[in-house]
Amino acid sequence: MKKFRTDEVETTALNNVNMEINEGEFVAIMGPSGCGKSTLLNILGLLDNPTSGELYFNKTQVDGYSERQRTNLRKENIGFVFQSFNLIEELTIYENIELPLLYMKVSSSERKKRVNEVLERMKIAHRAKHFPQQLSGGQQQRAAIARAVITNPKLILADEPTGNLDSANGEEVMNLLTQLNETGTTIVMVTHSPSDADRSHRIIQLFDGHIVTENMRQKL
Amino acid sequence: MLKIFLNTVFRKLFLQKGYSLINILGLATGITCSLLILLWVEYELSFDSFHKNNEQIYCVYENQSYADGEVFTAYSTPAPLAAKLKSDIPEVDKATRITRTWGKLMLTTDDSTFVENSGLCVDTDFFKMFSFPATMGNPNLVMPDDKSIVITESMSKRYFDQENPLGKTIIINSSFEYKVSAVLKDSPKNSSLYFDFLLPFGFIKKNWGFNLKNWDSHAFRTMIQIKSNTYIPNLETKIKPFIKQNLKQSNADLALQSFSDYHLHSISGKKLSPILYVRVFALVAFIILLIACFNYMNLSTARSERRAREVAVRKVVGAHKRGLFALFMAESVFISFLAFGLAVVLVELLLPFFKELTQRDLSLQFTDPTLLLSFAAIVTFTGIISGSYPAIYLSSFKPIRILKGKLYRDSHFFRKLMVITQFTISIGLIICTSVIYRQLDFLQDKDIGYQKDNIIYIELLDDFHEHYEDLKENLIKIPGVLKVTAANQMPINFSNSTSHITWDGKSKEAENVLFQLSFVDYDFIETFEMEVIHGRAFTHEQGADSLKLVINEAAASIMNMSYTIGEKVKIWDYEGEIIGIVKDFNFNSLQVGVKPLVMLISSDEFKYIAIKTDGNEEPIINNIRETWNKYFPNIPFTHRLLRDDFSYLYKAESRMSLVFISFTLIAVIISSLGLFGLSSYIIEQKYKEMGIRKVFGAEFQHLFRSFLIRFLRWILLANLIAWPIAFFLMQWWLAGFAYRINTSWLEFLGAGILSLLIAFITVFYQSYKISSITPIKAIRYE
Repeated sequence: MKKFRTDEVETTALNNVNMEINEGEFVAIMGPSGCGKSTLLNILGLLDNPTSGELYFNKTQVDGYSERQRTNLRKENIGFVFQSFNLIEELTIYENIELPLLYMKVSSSERKKRVNEVLERMKIAHRAKHFPQQLSGGQQQRAAIARAVITNPKLILADEPTGNLDSANGEEVMNLLTQLNETGTTIVMVTHSPSDADRSHRIIQLFDGHIVTENMRQKL
Repeated sequence: MLKIFLNTVFRKLFLQKGYSLINILGLATGITCSLLILLWVEYELSFDSFHKNNEQIYCVYENQSYADGEVFTAYSTPAPLAAKLKSDIPEVDKATRITRTWGKLMLTTDDSTFVENSGLCVDTDFFKMFSFPATMGNPNLVMPDDKSIVITESMSKRYFDQENPLGKTIIINSSFEYKVSAVLKDSPKNSSLYFDFLLPFGFIKKNWGFNLKNWDSHAFRTMIQIKSNTYIPNLETKIKPFIKQNLKQSNADLALQSFSDYHLHSISGKKLSPILYVRVFALVAFIILLIACFNYMNLSTARSERRAREVAVRKVVGAHKRGLFALFMAESVFISFLAFGLAVVLVELLLPFFKELTQRDLSLQFTDPTLLLSFAAIVTFTGIISGSYPAIYLSSFKPIRILKGKLYRDSHFFRKLMVITQFTISIGLIICTSVIYRQLDFLQDKDIGYQKDNIIYIELLDDFHEHYEDLKENLIKIPGVLKVTAANQMPINFSNSTSHITWDGKSKEAENVLFQLSFVDYDFIETFEMEVIHGRAFTHEQGADSLKLVINEAAASIMNMSYTIGEKVKIWDYEGEIIGIVKDFNFNSLQVGVKPLVMLISSDEFKYIAIKTDGNEEPIINNIRETWNKYFPNIPFTHRLLRDDFSYLYKAESRMSLVFISFTLIAVIISSLGLFGLSSYIIEQKYKEMGIRKVFGAEFQHLFRSFLIRFLRWILLANLIAWPIAFFLMQWWLAGFAYRINTSWLEFLGAGILSLLIAFITVFYQSYKISSITPIKAIRYE
């Protein structure tokens, strides 16, 4: 359960949500605005704590983890992609992608190798020295995905990754995510778009903080 | 409208308590300091302004030129000058001689005896020139004859209690009878002329037998009142050669100083005159206020990100840029009024300490129009200066960009400049304070060439030389007393000088050189542990030392016979033989170097007994008092400690340094608040970035490091700017002292480290704060 408190009002964002995500799965979370999708995603990503309840990652209970433990778990296992990209404006695309490796204390030669690799893979190598504002939305989101995958995480959490993109760029981003899933990365994605949700194995419908339906889908 | 405005402002203040507190407190501290300094400056400037004729009164002073190129400037003028100026120069309306009574006087009434040294001898014009109103007696004829004494209210109370003092007799030194002719109000504390009683000038002749017709003896102050519409430069030209016109061989030119300049301006052009302190402190007040305003600006713009949405919404619903500008300005002026209210309370609380510190009778008076205007100016200045930048910055936000979540970002150049300026000033102040403190400490502890510790001295009344030998014999018997000696002056401030000294082969350059002349007892040199470097000191054994002289190195080098003991020297008509040379020692304030000195034995001139003790002063002083009372049962015993008098020489400086240190501390605190404000601003701007960094694994130390580097650059820059400025400023200040320390690189390094430490702590706190929040909150923050 997740409750939010402001000074006077207590809001229950999630209530009685029980779910399990298997390794290698591609799960889409859908539902109207304010139903608790993003809150759920943030809890899964250890960015936020549930008010009560249990959370397991790789069979280890993690809901009581300290800030430091959560940071460590996060930087080694989880990648994030946001609707508004959340690239740091003062840093170049190269530096943005390199950032998680810095915090993992990866050596400089190794960093260089891995960043260049992923820049190639995301087809933005020619943009490496540019700043985020100089790129198109699609390119920015590819850079954000590059940053998410640079640490080879087991799980990628994507919060409406195509929400700020036109359909062509959205399509491209979805292709990248699908590819990542095919190479073994678990993906949980919040989306409003039924066509994006179609790429997933399973769709979880949330309404007012409850899971209303869970549809297993055949892999296309 | 006003109600809505006040409502909004108060709501904002309470919503952001921490911010409001820092903001108002910082500003209040700044205003408090400026107010305190302003009170002091106003007081200093108010000296002597209560005289109605203040603008017309001038001090006449002398520039005596000596052959070595030295010009000796002093208020001492010949006795006949005042009357002659009045009779010969039409512009001179009134004139008076003024002199403090020479040494202590014994005043006897019917019932009791008092020892006083706070009397002035004056001419009758004195009462027409200066505004010391009479409360009893004839205000138009305060001093009707040369047998009248004029006393102050407090002296009247002391001498006659509730009785009517008019017509009562006071006998001076058991010989001269005076009748109280008037009672004056006590002289105000901001009066340069301070006295308990006034005697007719003729007393100088009566008591000391001084020839008041002598043009060659420069011993008295002359003050004149000029007629209105006098063109001063003309008068100065007329007055300049006046002494030479009356005494051909004189080396003195006359000059005028306006009486309103008397308290603060030095006639000798001494660099460290009081007006310098007044100016420096006025500057410090301004700087502190400016730093506080910078702070306010920094903090306000720091919060502007939060207010951006407010601005945007106000603009969307129809507010004009001009209206918004006025709103923010009004807010700022309002807050500065709040801060001002707090400051007034703080000033009232701190005033007793500040009075103690400055030794001035300061008070906060709201009825004083100058003060009120100054206050209004301070509040408006503070409000406008501190509100201007945030007002311009906030009112120029583009609403669409803000509502879309894109903030209008400026270059931060202005803000960086403010913080760097603030730190530059603080670092500079820290360095200066440290140098000033060390210099004054150095002066206190400098080896001045004689022993000033454990010396008690007693000023003698005029006729007591005859008891001296007897008294000395008894004093030396007191346990703990090591030596007893006497002299006409104590080494703390030798002032008896002459140029009437000749010797064989005296060169032209040595003509008119001023020699200090000290009449001392045999064991004077031993008592003060002065070092004899050639020849010997005075001794009883070898007898006839009464015709011998001991000179100092400076005198020897002028006489050009540093190794010649036995030379004959003539002082006036008196011929003596040099028997020894003592190492130079300092007998004046250390701002001045060592002057040539001649010491000789002459018990007739003794004015002080000096007693060297083993340091156990309390019982010794009691014993001395007992001995004293045996000899002079009617005269109250008073004594002084040489060490205290020595400290007193630097009292102005030490007091100023104490005040300076306090204000530096405050400036540094306000600057730290500034850095705190700026770091919260930057962190506010970087809030989202830090959130993103945290999502991708950044921990406290990463955030801390990235902030620290940013701030360190600025602090280092501030140091680089402050160091040379402080260095040259202090070199200039130190140059005013004959004995001085060197500035040390440690002071500069220390100030640097201190500033870095302040930055370090602030950034540490802010980084800790941001690293402990949930990252998703930061990311959501728009």
